[in-house]
Amino acid sequence: MRDVFVVGVGITSFTRLEYPLIEIGAFASVRAMLDAGLDRIDHLYVANMGGGRVNNQTALGSALIDHLSLCPAGAETIENGPASGASAIKTGYMAVASGMHDVAMVTGVERMSEVNNLEATDFVATLTHPLAENIYGVTLPSLAGMFTRMYMEKYGVTSRHLAMVAIKNHQHALHNPFAHVRQQITMDGILDGPDAMTNNPFVSDPLRFFDCCPVSDGAACLILATGDVAKKLGKPLVRLSGVGQATDTHAVHEREDPTNLLAVRGAAAKAMAMAGVKPSDVSVAELHDAFTILEIVESEEVGFFKKGEGHLALERGLTKIGGQIPINTSGGLKAKGHPVGATGVGQAHELVLQLRGEAGKRQVTNAKIGLSVNFGGFGNNVVSLVFTKEG
Amino acid sequence: MERNILGYRCSKCERMHYPNRARCSACGNIDFTTEPLPKNGVLLTYTVLYNLPPDFDVPTLTLGIVQLDGGPRITGQLRIDEPKSGMRVQGHIGVVRKDNYKTHNGMIFEAA
Ligand SMILES: [Zn+2]
Repeated sequence: MRDVFVVGVGITSFTRLEYPLIEIGAFASVRAMLDAGLDRIDHLYVANMGGGRVNNQTALGSALIDHLSLCPAGAETIENGPASGASAIKTGYMAVASGMHDVAMVTGVERMSEVNNLEATDFVATLTHPLAENIYGVTLPSLAGMFTRMYMEKYGVTSRHLAMVAIKNHQHALHNPFAHVRQQITMDGILDGPDAMTNNPFVSDPLRFFDCCPVSDGAACLILATGDVAKKLGKPLVRLSGVGQATDTHAVHEREDPTNLLAVRGAAAKAMAMAGVKPSDVSVAELHDAFTILEIVESEEVGFFKKGEGHLALERGLTKIGGQIPINTSGGLKAKGHPVGATGVGQAHELVLQLRGEAGKRQVTNAKIGLSVNFGGFGNNVVSLVFTKEG
Repeated sequence: MERNILGYRCSKCERMHYPNRARCSACGNIDFTTEPLPKNGVLLTYTVLYNLPPDFDVPTLTLGIVQLDGGPRITGQLRIDEPKSGMRVQGHIGVVRKDNYKTHNGMIFEAA
């Protein structure tokens, strides 16, 4: 297999965007072409979850490749729920590594604001088990709520720990001009003060409003290419060095110990093994914090901390910028936003900026290895990526 | 009897599955016999959901995961004012969701 490098990145703000779905995807794609200095590609992979249902548009690959005036290059859409983004990057990786293509563009795009927030949540809930979960009214927040309660009772995680994740990621997002929520929050405002219960009502007890990511529109793009192409273009060399994926039972109740996220553990272990790194080598990580509890648990499952000790590391400040292993420097899904199909590409975008040294005020000093976890379903299909700074 | 409220026992190794699957998760066998699920069990976890899917006409919905006595686990609705993890619950089959297309029956639990 050939080495695969990231030669261009582009992103839109993750927020409510008043443009058609394809134009949002095109914006990030054009930025990535300009960043790379490329005017042609061999293939386009579009990551998206909701086009067919939310936007009433299918075959996004065909639409976007033409809108970019890049025909007759091949194009298709990859759908893998909230892990669509990293799945599309994996597909692009395979295309370049195999020798099939020299330059592959991966664009993740979603436009959820076409429908209201409850309808958006109901749409995302279509990924739950239709017979054993969905008919009961199970949504992603409700699976996360039941998971959080088990974790609290087993490991002593408290609402205060969850709030610490939110406060940290909102703080990180203040330095990300593309983040959806750029608002400083405090423990007083969301948990302790007299107005806390009004500011931060329950969504899915014990999870509150500030434990849940916003529903966002947005797009992000990565252009992957061979070493020869990358060297000619002259950008700082960032290699996609590890790709791992694992699955778990569709219905959460079927897991032997439902407090384990075995697909996160398996995907990250495979990605790190492929890259030849261990958890302590990782300089910066983007973990899929659609709910605050997930950042804590994923930080354990990928091996940064022992099982049941992620919240203690958080308390000690180890996961903020300047800490031992900064997590979600972009603001994470929590504050940067969660345009579902675009999220995995957005995570990769942040890691590439960090490894290039282009992350501005949120730059992690001397970042060499970045790891992402893109969590599909409620942990039943997880894709993890490792990026390595070369030279 | 609706398919979503039956247990599926592997006809070879006798492992119980809920919901149904095409191949046994223990031995790979493809034949199953169905049987009614046990109705009583222990509540493992729960949540009170405040933001409901649009077709639910109630202010909140309480959902939980129950370990059925001598059976599999199941996700169901709770009609319990103050649920607690570890409490005994007793289930019955009733209407859990009505949408534009269908009325769905499923497991509803009350305090035992
Ligand atoms: Zn069997």
